[in-house]
Amino acid sequence: MANYIASVNQLIMSKCSKIPGAVLYGQNLNNGTFISGLTKNIAVHETGRIINTPNVENTLCGMGFGMMLAGVKCVYFVKQLDFMLLGLDHFVNTYNFIRCSRNINELGSFSIIMLVCDQGMQGPQSSFSGYADFSSMARIACYSITNNQDTPRILETVTQPGFRMIGLSSRLCRSEFIQTNLVYSADDNSVFQYTEGADATIVCFNFSLAEGQALHKKLLEKGMASSLFSVNYVPYPDWTRIRQSVAITGRLVVMDDSKSVHLPAYSMLDAIAGDNLQFKRVVVVRGPNVDFGIDPDLFPVNYNDIMLRLGV
Amino acid sequence: MIVAAILDLQLAFKVLQLRYWQHIVNESLKKNIFKVPVHCAFGHEAIAVAVSEMMDPLDRLVLSHRNIAYNLARSGRLQPVYDEYKHLPSGADGGHLGSMNLANPDRGVIYTSSILGNNMPVACGIALGHLMLKRDGIVTALTGDGAMEEGTFYETLDISRYQKLPLLLMIENNKFAMSSTISERRVPIDVESMCRAFGTPYFFLTGNLVFDYAAKLKEIRGIITGDATPAVVEVDLSNLNRHAGPTPGWPSDPMNIDLKRGLIVQESACDPVHVLKQKLDPEIFAGLEEKVFSENWSG
Repeated sequence: MANYIASVNQLIMSKCSKIPGAVLYGQNLNNGTFISGLTKNIAVHETGRIINTPNVENTLCGMGFGMMLAGVKCVYFVKQLDFMLLGLDHFVNTYNFIRCSRNINELGSFSIIMLVCDQGMQGPQSSFSGYADFSSMARIACYSITNNQDTPRILETVTQPGFRMIGLSSRLCRSEFIQTNLVYSADDNSVFQYTEGADATIVCFNFSLAEGQALHKKLLEKGMASSLFSVNYVPYPDWTRIRQSVAITGRLVVMDDSKSVHLPAYSMLDAIAGDNLQFKRVVVVRGPNVDFGIDPDLFPVNYNDIMLRLGV
Repeated sequence: MIVAAILDLQLAFKVLQLRYWQHIVNESLKKNIFKVPVHCAFGHEAIAVAVSEMMDPLDRLVLSHRNIAYNLARSGRLQPVYDEYKHLPSGADGGHLGSMNLANPDRGVIYTSSILGNNMPVACGIALGHLMLKRDGIVTALTGDGAMEEGTFYETLDISRYQKLPLLLMIENNKFAMSSTISERRVPIDVESMCRAFGTPYFFLTGNLVFDYAAKLKEIRGIITGDATPAVVEVDLSNLNRHAGPTPGWPSDPMNIDLKRGLIVQESACDPVHVLKQKLDPEIFAGLEEKVFSENWSG
């Protein structure tokens, strides 16, 4: 079976190469390592264009919105999420102008597809992994693609009007592409459900689905069936499906491997707790002791402790 | 020859009309009529009219926070802009965009940014969109001697030349960034040398005479479309009003603009209206002035 980066690359290129008139652009996207495999075999529709750009990230972000205003569909491929800190002005200010003044459905579209550098070996300055912050500041959709079910569905958004960011985890790059079944997906791709069980609810944020899936399997070994969800950063997602699951299971495990302080997971917990639901909860996040130096950054999870706290 | 003279008179009239409208806005600012902050542009009239005249129907204009002269020149009417400042549904964009982000897509003003340096990358994208859609026309992006200090100016020079974008980057050099002069905040920057480093054609405009500016910009537009290259124009001008809000900005402000004293703000080459008065026959100038003042303005 192909690994994560090869599988996702294949799906991305299959989608992007068919968009008429599209501009696919970015730094080193058609030479060298092809952005660590992200853009391998990059191809474009005969009416489109591939542009290997200079290192001008702020301008490349602004250009995406400019092309959108001109009526062009474009995809910007990026090596690391932290490079996008240079484009924040456009995500917030430029996009606000477009959303305020235009019928957005008559414009082009702008997508950024990038690796989220979360394997920890690049150094202290390349460990930014939580792009929920981008989603919150700019009120945009930021998707984390991890598996065979969410990837093709989220890639469908690339041709839709508007702006979004789609992230891949570099920690998962050499792992097997996660294979799941699909129980449910929200229309806005905010919530995906992969299993259904009556004994526990597991909700994974950012790129923690692999750990969530491992917990699901360990619970099964103990004779417990769990509902496994992953959540993408879409402003104000509908938590109904997860709330219904927790009402049945009475046990909730939340996982988030990002290094941000304010996490959407807490918003979800607040929303669910506000219903006066009684349930056991375990929150697995990085907490205050993040190592900013070179570190394997494996998001270690103590499964036995979780199961103990769930009363298993 | 006669046709050229008529066209010149039309340009002169537009400069005077633009000045008159700015006076009305300034008088309204004094009365605190508007809901939003307005950055007047007394002194920018000649270049604004010339840019508007240069534009073909498929050309696009990308503006900055001090956009009033260009928006009025493109609109050809004061009322929608005035109403926009009053946050009224009858405003140019229904009262949504206010002053510093005011655009007018129907008249080619496709994007306006209040963030220094932000509009140049967006203009690059719009210009690339023109190429992708095989659409004729160029994109003109306005920036200033303050905004060009941002990194996006350098980045825009880089990628616009690399992609041969149909982009006219217009630097309004009024020597000020808010209240700081160039010498108070940085070293002088030789923009011509910067452009030469990228192989981008550079032009310098000075004199505030609308006829000269209009003729030169048409020539530059021809270079952009004919040679498939971006170009940079640095225009020497003076901002004759306070940074934002009314002028005078406070009771003892030595800078004072008052419509009762006529259209001219400064009897010098810094004022495009004064330059026109020096250039035109006195009777013709007076006739144009009378025509401008006869406009039925209800406010």
